[in-house]
Amino acid sequence: MIRLTDVRKVYRTRFGHNVVLDGIGLEMHMGERLGVLGRNGAGKSTMMRLISGAERPTSGRIERTMSVSWPLAFGGAFQTMLTGVDNIRFISRIYDQDFARNLAFVEEFSELGAYLREPVRTYSSGMRARLAFAISMIIEFDCFLIDEIGAVGDARFHDRCNHELFGKRGDRAMVIISHDAAYVRDHCNRFAVLHKGKLAHYDDFDEAYEDFREHIGLSNRKVSVPALPGHGIAPGRSALIEVSQHRALQDDRFRALVMEGDWRRDARAWAEAAGRYAAALALYPYQRSYWVQHGHVSKEQGLFERAEISYRTACALGEPVQDVAEHLAFVMAQQGLDIDAAPPGRYRKGEVAGQAPGQSDIDLFARAVWLCDPAIGIGDGDRARLLRAHATCDALLAAMIGDPRAAAATRGTQGGEAAGEESGEATGGSEEWIRTLCAVAFAPADLPRMVAAAQAITGMEDAWRHLLAAGGFADWPLAQAALQQAALQQAQTPEFKS
Amino acid sequence: MAGAAQTGTDRAEHAPQQPSLRQSLSIQRRVLGALLIREMLTRYGRHNIGFLWLFVEPMMFTLGVTALWTATKSVHGSDLPIVAFALTGYSSVLLWRNMPGRCIGALWSNLSLLYHRNIRVFDIYAARVILEFGGATISFATLSLLFISVGWLKPPENVLEVAGGWLLIAWFGGALAVTLGALSHESELVDKLWHPFSYLLFPMSGAAFMVDALPKIAQDYVLYIPMVHGTEIVREGYFGTRAHAHYDLAYVIPFSLVLTLAGLLAVRWVSARVVPE
Repeated sequence: MIRLTDVRKVYRTRFGHNVVLDGIGLEMHMGERLGVLGRNGAGKSTMMRLISGAERPTSGRIERTMSVSWPLAFGGAFQTMLTGVDNIRFISRIYDQDFARNLAFVEEFSELGAYLREPVRTYSSGMRARLAFAISMIIEFDCFLIDEIGAVGDARFHDRCNHELFGKRGDRAMVIISHDAAYVRDHCNRFAVLHKGKLAHYDDFDEAYEDFREHIGLSNRKVSVPALPGHGIAPGRSALIEVSQHRALQDDRFRALVMEGDWRRDARAWAEAAGRYAAALALYPYQRSYWVQHGHVSKEQGLFERAEISYRTACALGEPVQDVAEHLAFVMAQQGLDIDAAPPGRYRKGEVAGQAPGQSDIDLFARAVWLCDPAIGIGDGDRARLLRAHATCDALLAAMIGDPRAAAATRGTQGGEAAGEESGEATGGSEEWIRTLCAVAFAPADLPRMVAAAQAITGMEDAWRHLLAAGGFADWPLAQAALQQAALQQAQTPEFKS
Repeated sequence: MAGAAQTGTDRAEHAPQQPSLRQSLSIQRRVLGALLIREMLTRYGRHNIGFLWLFVEPMMFTLGVTALWTATKSVHGSDLPIVAFALTGYSSVLLWRNMPGRCIGALWSNLSLLYHRNIRVFDIYAARVILEFGGATISFATLSLLFISVGWLKPPENVLEVAGGWLLIAWFGGALAVTLGALSHESELVDKLWHPFSYLLFPMSGAAFMVDALPKIAQDYVLYIPMVHGTEIVREGYFGTRAHAHYDLAYVIPFSLVLTLAGLLAVRWVSARVVPE
C-alpha cells in the first residue's frame, strides 16, 4: 500500500513561493494502475518524485508498505561515464542482486551486444532508453512509477516493454504519467487529473479526459491565447515556421487536438480526424508535419483537391518534398493533373517574397486583402488554383491583390460601410492573426516597424491600410506592382467611389 | 559511525519491514561499497594505471613539494631533516584539504542517485571522504616506506601516535568536508570561498613550521587552528621528543565533535530540501 495524505509541496523561487502540490491524497494497492493526466508543469513529475521517496514533501504524510521503483525509462539513473556493464553491476550491488543473472537479462532484453562494454555516453538516445528500461526490470519492485515511457524507442521495443510491464508484472501497482493520453487510457484501471495543485480521482477514463480537456482550455468556447514573451511576434516568416514546430507541440491544446486526430485516424474515422487536425492547424497554421497528416486523412476520404492543398502547404513549410511527392502525385493524378506541370514548392530560408506559399499564407492574406471572414474561409477550389499557379509568396499576394475581391473589399471599407463591425468580439484568434500577418509583411530587420504596425491594427478592416502605411511588403516587387496597378484602376473608375 | 545509524533508522521508516540494526548496517556497507567502486571507476577509469591514480597523484604532490623544500633548504625552525618534515607536513595538508574539495558540489553531480531508496545524501559524501582518506593514507604510507628503505628517514618512533594524529586530522577534515559539501548545495558561495580560504590556511596549518619555533604569542593563536594539533602529533609520533610538539586534545576533540554535529545537521537540512533532477 502507498498512501499520500494531504501532501503539499512548495518550492522557494526567486519570485516567491510556488505551490506545486496543494494537499493531494492518494492510495494505491497491488494490481491498481493509476494514470495521471495534467498539463505541462502541473506537477506530475514532482508527484512521482515524492511517491518514489527521492524528494520529501513540504508537509503531509507519505506511507509506503511496498517497495517503489525509480521513475522508469529515466535515463539519468545511470552514470554516463561508465559502461553499461558497470551500471548493471552498481545497481546489482545497491539492491543486493545477483549480477551475473542481471547481466544476462539485460544483454538479452536490450540487444545492445558489444556496446554494453562501452561507456553509456557513446550510446544513442534509443540505446540509452533500451538500457534504462532493461535495468529497471531487473529489480522486482511492488510498485512501478512510469514517466513518459511512450516517448522513446521503436514499435517492437514498445511491444516488448509492454509485455514485460503489463504482461509479466500485471499484478503490481503502477503510477503512469504520459503526454500520450491514449497510453494512459489503454494501460490504466484508475485515473486522476492533476490541476492547480489538486488531484481529482476518476474510475472512468472519459470523465477524467473530459475534465483534462477543460483544464487545458479546449472545451471552453473562449480560447485564451497563452501569453508569449515580449510582443509575441516571431520576426519573419522563417522564424514563424521554425518557432511553430516546437511551440505547437508544447501547447497542450495543439497536442490534445492532434492526439484526438490520431485516435480517430487509427479508428479510420477519416472525416473526424481531418476535423481535429484542421482545428489544431488553425491554432498553428505554420506547423508543417500535421499538414501532411491532414493531407493523408483527406486523401482517404477521396477529397483529392483538399489533400493536394495540404500536401503543397506541408512542402512549402519545409516538409521534405521527397516524403510527400508520391502522395501529391497520386492525389493530382486522381484529379487528372500532372505533378510536373505544377511541382510543389520547397521551403528555403531568405527573403519572404521568394518563399513558396501554402494554405496558411492564402488564408492569412485573404483575411487582410479580401476581408474574407475566417469563419467561412475561402473555397478549396480557389486555394488549389492559387497554389498551383504561384510559386512564391510575392506572386501569390500580387495575384490576390489583382483579384476583383480585393477591389470590392477596398470599396467596402472606403465607403464607410464597415459591415459586421466585430467590436465586442476582439477574439484571441484575431490577435494571433495580426501578429502572424505582421511577421510575414516585414523583413526581420524591420522589427520596430513590425511592432508598430501590430499595435496600430485593431482588426480585419484596418489591417491592410495600416500595414501598407507602415511600409509592409515593401520588398515584394510583384505585390508592389499589383498595388500600383490596382490604384490606377481605381482612379480610372471613379464612378464606383462613394 | 553516527551517520550509519542515522541513515539506518531513516530508511526503516519507509521500508516494508522494520530492518534490524544489523540489516541496516549491512545495507549501509553495501551501499558505501558500491558508491566507492563507482566513484573510483568514474574518476580514474580503466585506462593506463586506472585507480592507482588514487594515491599516485598525492604522492606526486608530496614528492614535488619535498624536492622543492629540499632544494631551497627551507627554514622550518627545527633540526629535523627536511625530507621528513616535508613528508609529514604536506601529506597532512592533502588529507584535510582534499576531502572538502571533493565533497563541495558532490550532490549536484549525483542527484540521480537519490532515486535509489537506499542511497541517502550522507552516503554520497561519506563515499568521497573515505576515498580521499584512502588515497592520502596510502600515499603517506608508501612514501614513508620508500624514504625509510633508502635511508632518508628513520622509522617512526611511535607508529600508533602517528596513526592517532593522522586519524585526528582525517576526522576534522571529514567533518569539515561533509559540512561544506552540504552547505555548498544551498549556496555557491561555499565553493567560491573555499579555494582562497584553503590556500591561505595552508601556510598556517602547521605543515611548514613547528609550533615550537614560533614566538610565544603566535603559538597561542596558531593553536586555535585545529589541524595544527594533528600535524604536531604526527610529528611527535615520528620524531619523538626531538619534535617538541605542542597540542591540546581537550581543544581539538571537542572542536571536531561540534563540527561533526554541525555537518550531520547540515546534511539533514539539505536532504529535506533537495530536488532530484
